[in-house]
Amino acid sequence: MATTACFIIVSRNDIPIYEAEVGVAAKREDAAQLHQFILHAALDIVQDLAWTTSAMYLKSVDRFNELVVSVYVTAGHTRLMLLHDSRNDDGIKSFFQDVHELYIKTLLNPLYLPGSRITSSHFDTKVRALARKYL
Amino acid sequence: MEPEVSIEGSAMIQVAVVPIGTVPSNLLRDYYSMLIPLHTIPLSAISSFYTEHQKSPFAVQPWDSGSLRFKFVLGGAPPSPWEDFQSNRKTLAVVGVVHCPSSPDLDTAVDVFSNACKSFPSSLVDRCFAFCPNDSQLEDGSKKGGNLRLFPPADRPTLEFHLNTMMQEIAASLLMEFEKWVLQAESSGTILKTPLDSQASLSSEEVIKAKKRRLGRAQKTIGDYCLLAGSPVDANAHYSTALELSRLTGDYFWYAGAMEGSVCALLIDRMGQKDSALEEEVRYRYNIVIMNYKKSQDNVQRVSPLTFELEATLKLARFLCRRELAKEVVELLTTAADGAKSLIDASDRLILYIEIARLYGSLGYHRKAAFFSRQVAQLYLQQENRLAAISAMQVLAMTTKAYHVQSRSSLSDHSLHRNGIVSNNADSGKTNHQSAVSLFESQWSTLQMVVLREILLSAVRAGDPLTAWSAAARLLRSYYPLITPAGQNGLANALSNSADRLPLGTRCADPALPFVRLHSFPLHPTQIDIIKRSSAREDWWAGAAPSGPFIYTPFSKGESNNIKKHELIWIVGEPVEVLVELANPCGFDLRVDSIYLSVHSGNFDAFPVSVSLLPNSSKVITLSGIPTSVGPVSIPGCIVHCFGVITEHLFKEVDNLLLGASQGLVLSDPFRCCGSPKLKNVSVPNISVVPPLPLLVSHVVGGDGAIILYEGEIRDVWIRLANAGTVPIEQAHISLSGKNQDSVISYSSETLKSCLPLRPGAEVTFPVTLRAWQVGLVDADAGAGKTVSGNYMRHSKDGISPSLLFHYAGPMKTSEDTPTNGSTVPPGRRLVVPLQICVLQGLSFVKAQLLSMEFPAHVGESLPKLDVNNKSTGEHVDSETKMDRLVKIDPFRGSWGLRFLELELSNPTDVVFEINVSVKLEKSSNENNHFTDQGATEYVYPKTRIDRDCSARVLVPLEHFKLPVLDDSFFIKDTQLDGNGGGRNASFSEKNTKAELNACIKNLISRIKVRWHSGRNSSGELNIKEAIQAALQTSVMDVLLPDPLTFGFRLVRDDSESKKTEPDKESESAVSKGSVIAHEMTPMEVLVRNNTKDMLKMSLNITCRDVAGENCVDGTKATVLWTGVLSDIAMEIPPLQQIKHSFCLHFLVPGEYTLLAAAVIDDANDILRARAKTTSAAEPIFCRGPPYHVRVLGTA
Repeated sequence: MATTACFIIVSRNDIPIYEAEVGVAAKREDAAQLHQFILHAALDIVQDLAWTTSAMYLKSVDRFNELVVSVYVTAGHTRLMLLHDSRNDDGIKSFFQDVHELYIKTLLNPLYLPGSRITSSHFDTKVRALARKYL
Repeated sequence: MEPEVSIEGSAMIQVAVVPIGTVPSNLLRDYYSMLIPLHTIPLSAISSFYTEHQKSPFAVQPWDSGSLRFKFVLGGAPPSPWEDFQSNRKTLAVVGVVHCPSSPDLDTAVDVFSNACKSFPSSLVDRCFAFCPNDSQLEDGSKKGGNLRLFPPADRPTLEFHLNTMMQEIAASLLMEFEKWVLQAESSGTILKTPLDSQASLSSEEVIKAKKRRLGRAQKTIGDYCLLAGSPVDANAHYSTALELSRLTGDYFWYAGAMEGSVCALLIDRMGQKDSALEEEVRYRYNIVIMNYKKSQDNVQRVSPLTFELEATLKLARFLCRRELAKEVVELLTTAADGAKSLIDASDRLILYIEIARLYGSLGYHRKAAFFSRQVAQLYLQQENRLAAISAMQVLAMTTKAYHVQSRSSLSDHSLHRNGIVSNNADSGKTNHQSAVSLFESQWSTLQMVVLREILLSAVRAGDPLTAWSAAARLLRSYYPLITPAGQNGLANALSNSADRLPLGTRCADPALPFVRLHSFPLHPTQIDIIKRSSAREDWWAGAAPSGPFIYTPFSKGESNNIKKHELIWIVGEPVEVLVELANPCGFDLRVDSIYLSVHSGNFDAFPVSVSLLPNSSKVITLSGIPTSVGPVSIPGCIVHCFGVITEHLFKEVDNLLLGASQGLVLSDPFRCCGSPKLKNVSVPNISVVPPLPLLVSHVVGGDGAIILYEGEIRDVWIRLANAGTVPIEQAHISLSGKNQDSVISYSSETLKSCLPLRPGAEVTFPVTLRAWQVGLVDADAGAGKTVSGNYMRHSKDGISPSLLFHYAGPMKTSEDTPTNGSTVPPGRRLVVPLQICVLQGLSFVKAQLLSMEFPAHVGESLPKLDVNNKSTGEHVDSETKMDRLVKIDPFRGSWGLRFLELELSNPTDVVFEINVSVKLEKSSNENNHFTDQGATEYVYPKTRIDRDCSARVLVPLEHFKLPVLDDSFFIKDTQLDGNGGGRNASFSEKNTKAELNACIKNLISRIKVRWHSGRNSSGELNIKEAIQAALQTSVMDVLLPDPLTFGFRLVRDDSESKKTEPDKESESAVSKGSVIAHEMTPMEVLVRNNTKDMLKMSLNITCRDVAGENCVDGTKATVLWTGVLSDIAMEIPPLQQIKHSFCLHFLVPGEYTLLAAAVIDDANDILRARAKTTSAAEPIFCRGPPYHVRVLGTA
């Protein structure tokens, strides 16, 4: 399992709708902030890159120091972004695919307003379980 | 590392610009800004200053198209250890700037300048520019010559021209110096060192190697000078040689340097033409450059040439920096960023990040740029000094846009406008979800909070209280739900601390707390309603009042609603109020020093109020102000003075926030978390201010409290009106509205009209006569068990009082004022004065009934007047007393009768009432001709007192009346009920008769007035008309209608007999005309009159009764003898005729007797049956006459 991993879902309106620190490293607040800053900055690159390929999984699009940003863009232009320091491409891909499925399930909830924050604890639990499994 | 590196940078001559003596910073900046445009001096322009001393080493210098490039460095750069490697790093020229007024002694200035030049050892040309010299200095300076250049005071274009000339001279001098240097270098060679080579002890092998390399390095440097001299072709030739030599000697570092130079030469040569082939060439060569720099790092040395690699990377990135090549540039920049951690020097890292951020920014990757800007800011903050903090603050301010936390002051009008449109859309109708979401784009709250916190920190360190305040305000306002109460307190402290350092009355674009939203616009109180007035209609007020039979008119309703919603009229000089709601969602007490409406239109004076809000509380407050001039007013928000700074709080922003909260897009709704109820979106109406209008203020004389009246009480109320406006009232109209309008008997509109025009400040008082209405049945029931105050409460609540409506208006504008159209008449106004009438239950009417009393008539020689057409009165109406005149002969019945109207009244109240009954007399009535002399038109009966909780009966004697003919018109109703279709008989006259009766009743009723008094000033009239009418209607049949038959008795004197007993008769007549003597035959006749319009057949019976009521005609003990027929006399009487039947009576015993006539009518028609109220047709109709008294004189 990766020592550092920050997973975030960004809606098509560039609003983070789900955030989770899924690494095993001890949680430090300033580190978490840095992770978000890196992910936020990577959106610029994703925005261009997403249109150059038909694949949803964009692999690693950006890096800062040892931290790599991998992105998975859904058809609705929701971006699943993972900041990690490990090079486990296959695991990350599987992780993204499974989270995508979870996300679709959330979207299907008639009470969920697309683009708003995902507050379901079930979703959170599942994402963390997937992170443990794949990362 | 150097900032702003570019490929072309290799061809730039670095010039230090140093201030000499004291130069005010703004002037220095000004002089510097004049130098900046002179960064390129064409070779063609310097030819006049250029003299070729020897053969120029720059063989192919493009004199017509080439140019020298300059880079001006304010203050100069410290000598770089790498300046041998790249000549453009050398400071090749020094320009001193002297501001003559502040350095009067030019000699000193020149000395200082020459000292300053010593710190630039590589400088080849030094010039000192002295600006603004005075005359003596000019004189002095011109003698000096040397490096001093004087710029006489002149306007800017002239000055710029002079500077340009001076720069051309410098350029020419530099070019000549370059030539000299190159010639020297070519001939004698030069030692070129870089820190890479500066090992203390060189091994012999390395010394040999260095010697080999020297030539290549020299060639490279000559190339550099060629480039600086603006001759790329020469440079390229030298670089090619250098590349070849350094490749052979394995001098990777210099190889890379020469390659860089060659690329620059290529670009300078191909200036202006950028094609893909060139780009490919540059990319290819630079990749080699980067690779070679990297290679040169393999030598493990103290000094790393890493910065050159990074610089080269940045140079390439800058060259390629275009949107299409974003991916490649990103790749380069990412690589460059990776290099940062290997950099030893913090300032190198700083420059690297700055450059990366710049390049990302120019690529359009604002988030990336913001990220690296923040890294820069963090590096600055690590330096922990004030200047670095200022830099950090400024850099962070640049990132705010990308993180969407920018201060409102930095927002462009455009984006504000766009937001406005969005929220307008949101206001109107159904909210589009997407637009709502787009309002909250990029809400990365974690990042935003971090950035704001860093801005706050850096601003505090930099000593910029306003920026600190603004950052703390943004942080607190936007992210209070994410901040702990302790943190909120800390921010509040930061706000107050910052405010302490700010001058009083500082404004900030970013609002802090509280949240302010529009609550409502209170509509005009009814006191100052505005009514549109058109010049066309004289009665403009009529349209304003609800017209037509319908209470609700869909058209007018909609109209008025629209007006309420979208338009609001304010009047110059009249205070208005707006309700706003404040919320403090934070955990500290919030003290708002002042809050008032922000009006941008400038025609409104707002009154500030101060409020304090408890933690987590909200409050609705009233903000008021006075419009000062005519025009539209827009209220976008409030100006709040809180935490020592004045800010503007826009309603729209809060509305958007609430919208986002409702969609779950923002953290929290500040109002809801304060427990404030959800409020629907209040749209700001279009408010327009109109010129001053008159303003009426009403006041009820004697107190504005409720007017307490008893039922039926009549009282005058005085209302005082005053014009509180500044415009005279020229038109006024009074009308009534509301319930119980009939309780206002009269109001004196003439009094008001006579006072027009009512000047400002003038007053008018006029009376309104009120009569209390009846308390409803329910009220009466409830009132019995309730106290008076209970009743009062209810009445005021029910709003059943009438209101006086005053429509009034100022002068119509004359045509000169508004020549455009006549429709711009200043509007009128309406004042509603609710008459607070509280009706208490007073005397209550229980019932009314007609009572009748009969006095038997005496049988005389003549009958009582029977002919109704004859207006003569009855015989006995000769009494002088008033009471007696009410006792009259019933012309139809033939007897004396007295009619009473009995009124039963009760007094359920706790006060005493006195009753006064009065009857208005009619002079023309046939009964009171005798009393014409009295002239009294009203007769007042004695007062009756009714104590509390008592009841009393009041008898009202009536002058009775009957109708001449009994016909079916009275019974139309009855016959209709029977279904006989009696309507066919109803002729006009019959209807007329019926109407006549009704009129009679009405007339009678209207003449009876029951007035009451209670206490000192309560008096009124009992409204019992309906009750009397009801009473009369029920008994009208029995009492007022004529009987079908009228019976009358009279004595008959034979003419002969009267002749015989003439003296007797005289004596008799003297005694009594109608005297009857006992033991004497008394001839009598009975007159039977048919009052109907039909022939009546009947059988008549006459009886005589004595005092005891015994029949004294028949039976064994008869005391009266008779002749003629007394019983079963068959008669037929034609309509409206009378028939006499004669008989004689012989009284045996003197005394009082009573004669009675009765008849049984045969074949009675429906009318008679109805009159007799028979139940079946078979029942005989029995008709009995009134008793007649006979006094029999004589002795027994």
